[in-house]
Amino acid sequence: MDKDTAIGGPHGRFPSTQVSLLEAASAGLPGEALDRVMALYWKPVYKYIRFRFGKDNEDAKDLTQSFFAAALQREFFARFDPVKASFRTYLRMAVERFAASQHAAAKRQKRGGNVEFGPVEEQAATAESPERVFEREWQHQLFSLALDDLRAHCDTSGRQLHFQIFEAYDLAEGGRPSYAALAARHSIAETAVTNHLAWVRRMLRAFVAERLRGVTSGEQELRKEMRSLWM
Amino acid sequence: MDVSDSVLVHLRHVAALPDLTATRYELESEIGRGGMGVVYAARDRQLGRRVALKILDAAMAGEPQIIAQLEHPAIVPVYETGTLPDERVFYAMKLVTGARLDHYLSGSPSLAERLRVIRRVGEALAFAHTQNIIHRDLKPQNVMVGEFGEVYVMDWGVDAIVGTPAFRAPDRRLDRRSDIYALGALLQFMLPAAAPLPLSAIADKAMKADPGARYPDVPELLADIGRFEEGLAVEAWSEPLWHRLRRFGARNAALLWLLTAYAGVKFLLFFCEIFKGIAADLETDGERSQR
Repeated sequence: MDKDTAIGGPHGRFPSTQVSLLEAASAGLPGEALDRVMALYWKPVYKYIRFRFGKDNEDAKDLTQSFFAAALQREFFARFDPVKASFRTYLRMAVERFAASQHAAAKRQKRGGNVEFGPVEEQAATAESPERVFEREWQHQLFSLALDDLRAHCDTSGRQLHFQIFEAYDLAEGGRPSYAALAARHSIAETAVTNHLAWVRRMLRAFVAERLRGVTSGEQELRKEMRSLWM
Repeated sequence: MDVSDSVLVHLRHVAALPDLTATRYELESEIGRGGMGVVYAARDRQLGRRVALKILDAAMAGEPQIIAQLEHPAIVPVYETGTLPDERVFYAMKLVTGARLDHYLSGSPSLAERLRVIRRVGEALAFAHTQNIIHRDLKPQNVMVGEFGEVYVMDWGVDAIVGTPAFRAPDRRLDRRSDIYALGALLQFMLPAAAPLPLSAIADKAMKADPGARYPDVPELLADIGRFEEGLAVEAWSEPLWHRLRRFGARNAALLWLLTAYAGVKFLLFFCEIFKGIAADLETDGERSQR
C-alpha cells in the first residue's frame, strides 16, 4: 500500500490518527474532544440557532459560544449514549434545549418592551427547515475542514500538482476542463491526470473519515455517517 | 476552504467513486445502490468485457465469498474479488442485461411465463437454503429477467439488511421461513389482477404471520404451484365442490366429450328402437284390421 494511503495505519479501515469522541472524553480529554466538535459544529450550531429561533448575528454567536462553554461544564460527553442516537442528533437536540431555555429567559427579561427577534433574511428566503440547514452546514463544514487537511497534506508531501489538478477539475464552479486540457496544461499524460485525481479523491475520502472519527462514538457510528455522506 | 452547494454535491459523488487504478477494471456508470454497497458497470480491460462491480463497506468483506459459494444457474456468478486502497471490498460479477422483474411485468407476460419466473426464483432460493444461506431481501427489484429469458436472483442479503417492508416477514429473527414469506409476497406481486384462486391461496399460505403455518420449505411451495399447473388440487386451499367439479371437467375434457357423445348415440339408438317398435305394432294392427 502506498504510504500516503495508510494515514490511519495499515490495519485501519479508516484513517485513525484520531481516537473516537468517546475515547477522548473517557481518557480525560473533554477539552480536546470539544475542540474537535467545535471545529466541525460551531457554524452548523450557529446557523441552527439563527434559523430556529430567529436570532440576529450577534445574539446567535453569543448563544453558540455559551452553548459550547456550557457543554464543557455540564458533562456533555458523558451523557451521550450512542445507542439512543448519533452524536450529531444528540448535539442538535442539546442545542435545541439550551437555546430554547435561553430564548425564553431573554423574552422574560424583555417583557413589556415588546421586543421580538424578527426572522433573519436567509430564513425568509428559504423553505428549508432548521434541521435541514443544520445538516447542510455540517456537510459544508466537514468538507471544508477535510479540504484544508488535504491541501496541507499535498503541500507537505510534495504533491502540489495533484492538488492543482483536483482544484481545477473537482473544485471548479461551472464548466470543468477536459482531462486532455489538464494534461496539456501541466505537460503530463492524460492517464496521469486520471491517476492524480483518483489519488486526491481517495485522500479526500480518508480525511473526511478522519474528521468524522473525532466526532463519532466509534466504528459503527462512523460507518453510518460515512454511508450517509456518499452519493 | 469553503465550497459551494454544487461543488459539495460533486465532491460527495467523486469521493465515493472507487479508485480502480490498481485493478483491471475501468469504471463506466453506477447501476444500483443498496444499504451497504453500490454496483457499477465496469469494463474488464484484460478480457475486454463488461462486468458488474459491487463496492462494499470493509465490514462486509465476507459477502463475496458467501455469494461465490452459490453456484447456480439463477445466481449471478462472481468472477473476482479484491480490496481497494481505501480498504473497501469489491467483487466483479457477470453483468446481467435484461429487465428488473417489476419492469418485466409491465410487458404483461402470460400466467405460465410468470409461474416459470417464480419457479426459477424459488429454485435459486431452495439451493441457497441447502447451503445455509438466506436471502433476507427478496423483492422484484432484486430479480432480473435476462434477454434470453434467464432469471437471476441478485443482492443476497448477507450484509445484515433486514428486508423491504412489503416483502419482509414480520419475524423477529430472519430464517428460511422469512425467505418463504418473501417468495409468497413475490408470487402475489406477480399474479395478474384476476388471479386463479389456488395461486392466491398459495401466496397467502406462504405469507402467514405465523412462520409455522407457512410452507416448511421452498420445494413444498414450488410443488403446490406444480400441482396447480397440472390441474390438481393445491394443498394451500380446501376447494369447494363447484370448483372441484370444474377442475375435474377441465382436466378430463376429452373423456367427458367422449362420454357425452356415447350417451347421445345411445339415446338416439334407444329412441330409434322405440320408434321401430311402434311402427311395427302399427303395421301389425293394420294387417289385423284388414283381415
